[in-house]
Amino acid sequence: MAKVVIDPLTRIEGHLRVEVEVENGKVVDAHIIGTMYRGIEAMLRGRDPRDATFVTERVCGVCAGSHGWASSLALDKAYGANVPAGGRLIRNLIIGAMYLHDHPLHFYHLSALDYLDVMAVAQYQGKDPGLLAVKDKIIKLVNAGDTAPLTPRYKPDDFSVNDPELVTMAVAHYLKALEMQAKAKKMSALFAGKQPHQSSIVVGGVTMLPSIQVVEQFRSMLYEQLDFIEKTYLQDVLTFGTGPLLPLAQAGVGGGSPNYLSYGGFARDDAGKDMFFKAGVIMDGNLSKIIPVDESKITEDVQYSWYKASAKGKTPYTEDTIPDLDKKGAYTFVKAPRYDGKPIEVGPLARMLVMQPKGLMDIIAKYGIKPGAVARHAARAYETLLMAKDMFNWLDALEKEMGSKDFRIHDTDHWEAPATGQGAGMTEVPRGSLGHFIKVGDHKIENYQMVVPTTWNFSPRDDKGVRGPVEEALIGVPVPDLENPVNIVRVVRSYDPCLACAIHLIHPETNNIKKFQIGW
Amino acid sequence: MGNFDLLKVKGVSRRDFMKLIAATTAALGLPELIVPKAASALEQALKKPPVIWLEGMDCTGCTESAISTLNPSPAELILDMLSIRYHETIMAASGHTSEEAYQATLKENFVLVVEGSCPAKEDRFCMVGGRPFRKILIEAAQKAQVIIAIGSCASEGAGIPGACATGAVGVAELLRNEGINKPVINLPCCPVKPTTLIGTILYYLTYQKAPALDSQNRPIAYYGSLLHDNCPRRGHFENGNYLTDWNDPVQKEYCLILKGCKGPKTYTDCAQVWWNDNANFCINAGSPCSGCSEKDFYNGFSPLYAKQEIFKLPGIGHVDADTVGFVVGGAAAIGLGAHLIATAASGRLGNKDHKEDM
Repeated sequence: MAKVVIDPLTRIEGHLRVEVEVENGKVVDAHIIGTMYRGIEAMLRGRDPRDATFVTERVCGVCAGSHGWASSLALDKAYGANVPAGGRLIRNLIIGAMYLHDHPLHFYHLSALDYLDVMAVAQYQGKDPGLLAVKDKIIKLVNAGDTAPLTPRYKPDDFSVNDPELVTMAVAHYLKALEMQAKAKKMSALFAGKQPHQSSIVVGGVTMLPSIQVVEQFRSMLYEQLDFIEKTYLQDVLTFGTGPLLPLAQAGVGGGSPNYLSYGGFARDDAGKDMFFKAGVIMDGNLSKIIPVDESKITEDVQYSWYKASAKGKTPYTEDTIPDLDKKGAYTFVKAPRYDGKPIEVGPLARMLVMQPKGLMDIIAKYGIKPGAVARHAARAYETLLMAKDMFNWLDALEKEMGSKDFRIHDTDHWEAPATGQGAGMTEVPRGSLGHFIKVGDHKIENYQMVVPTTWNFSPRDDKGVRGPVEEALIGVPVPDLENPVNIVRVVRSYDPCLACAIHLIHPETNNIKKFQIGW
Repeated sequence: MGNFDLLKVKGVSRRDFMKLIAATTAALGLPELIVPKAASALEQALKKPPVIWLEGMDCTGCTESAISTLNPSPAELILDMLSIRYHETIMAASGHTSEEAYQATLKENFVLVVEGSCPAKEDRFCMVGGRPFRKILIEAAQKAQVIIAIGSCASEGAGIPGACATGAVGVAELLRNEGINKPVINLPCCPVKPTTLIGTILYYLTYQKAPALDSQNRPIAYYGSLLHDNCPRRGHFENGNYLTDWNDPVQKEYCLILKGCKGPKTYTDCAQVWWNDNANFCINAGSPCSGCSEKDFYNGFSPLYAKQEIFKLPGIGHVDADTVGFVVGGAAAIGLGAHLIATAASGRLGNKDHKEDM
């Protein structure tokens, strides 16, 4: 048995170390290790609760806006704020634009280099002027002896795409997508102040009272994004997924735990009954049975995490949070959340399996694609398309609201902190299900915690020794060449990890989130 | 081989290159006259500069901000301007191949860009490749031709991580602690502004020296003016029109001081150079400035959404300070109050506080 360590595992957000045991060319065991800790929740204690939306916004600069949004949803409840329709819609549009940013960026810039033999561009024989320019550019970089950051890399393997036509097109789209992600951030910033780290989302709504000009600028940029998503991003994912990568897709390489969770997100009405992303749980791969989400089934283990174990008889909201770096057996800053005692996957694949949009399900059925790394890319691309299309409806709704006499974006009556309060903001952000939990006491933050998507996916073993979803997904993955573990990074990256988020969990005192809520 | 031929070999057309220089020179606030000189210097230096870009206790927001530039485009930045040899979020390599790239670049005359804070007391709070980030940072800093700390986390005060209990510090503080005497160019803001980062790198490559810096080692070109003095809402401040209700169209452009704006204490070019290809900036979006370009951010400026001190505005407006303010301690709040009083009393703007700040 041989041990392979990948550290740093790059092209993700944050610091990640992966250790696998390989036997007979396949992974037989895996450990996922988060190697950085900032301690933001603890720092929030005792502060003005409104600071939480600003501070937690900065947990992650890739899915920018996500944490600020979830935080505001938690604060809205703690404050008793009623966000007006205008505020709700603008928040949705700010975050929706960031989905259009995040998902193509993940595919082209964080993942594609694992599948492409970029140097095949040199063999391009076609006549397309755009693609010839790409060829020209790559050849010049090669001749100049400087192809950073495209090299060095793991060596291409049997699954690598080396068809010059396909690769050249993909590299051209890599460059195009670089421009589109910048434009998506610009779109978001129109309502958000700036991106990354928008300023507009606050407790009670947003601060940006939009003009009709800004709405129309957003709309025209949304058309451009939709065009790119429909004709380029989704097409590329399908071309690769049902073409050269179909064997990977059909084998379900990187399948992981067959359990899926979505909290639901993006309210389309004031009551929050009509959600764009549906809430639901799938257990044991049974897609015909969508189970309602029951928060009381969410628990967290810390036996293998660098945090002190829970002291009995204390609620987490009254306890201190203490990292324990010398803890025996622990190997990560990430905790081990479980649903009904089982590891569960969150993110685009989970959302799409809960929602089961016909277009995507047809493709999955037609090609016999199994849950795994390729299916994750397909689900991510498909939900981007659904999102972009629905955003037009949100814009229309916003414009209609702006036409009314009492158009409002903020609940001014609930701006100052209540003496006491509590709230949970549970929603769907690009990487999956995100929960922020706040307790307010004496007008200050008494406790704050986040349960983030990457914690679900990149969790270590739980107290029963059961692996987390990604650890499980790595079992059986082929590693024919120990020096070139490219399949490992393909599987890991398909989850779009964000370790800066995952390592924030600092409520190690408990095993049970529901208990926190009762504790309120 | 002429300089331009060298450029062509690098895959950059002269037209594109001149456009790039012109855009970044404009961002730096330099006259057009400098463009040929900058272009020529760069052509001679080209060789795109090798860059090691380290991420410590960060959120990748500064990387995201850098690639939010549209002029120059992100592709021009990543492929044409710089030779990014090591960058965890962008590079193709992983694991040992990335480590090899890092080691090889250490032997070259490289530019070091640092994003995120460094834990100064407990190495295990940030480990990369099995090594303490602190040691990697020191190693690279000692060999770099120039060190550029980007974003509030890597700059003086260490931004939000600096307020946490992990002992996080910025690059300059770490080097001071370690007795390493090497200058650091700080480009704070949360995240770094792309125009600031690109302009500073271009300036350095053109002149082979840091631009003029202030007391926090920030380029004066970007951090030389007080936000409050350039604020589009300054007139409303003077007239005592303070925003209290974000829903009210009449108040839409009002001063945000009652919502906690730190503009009177913050040196940044946000009012002149907006974010995301000039789409917007915090104050235009109705959001109070958080002061993220200052070393007092975040801890010294919290709470962010409350006006921080009682002050009287002689002859101005209708706001009763006693009804709108909270008193908080700390030098930041006192400084803010003093500035407001001085400005209001004298009725002039000017940069004298900045000199005191230095």
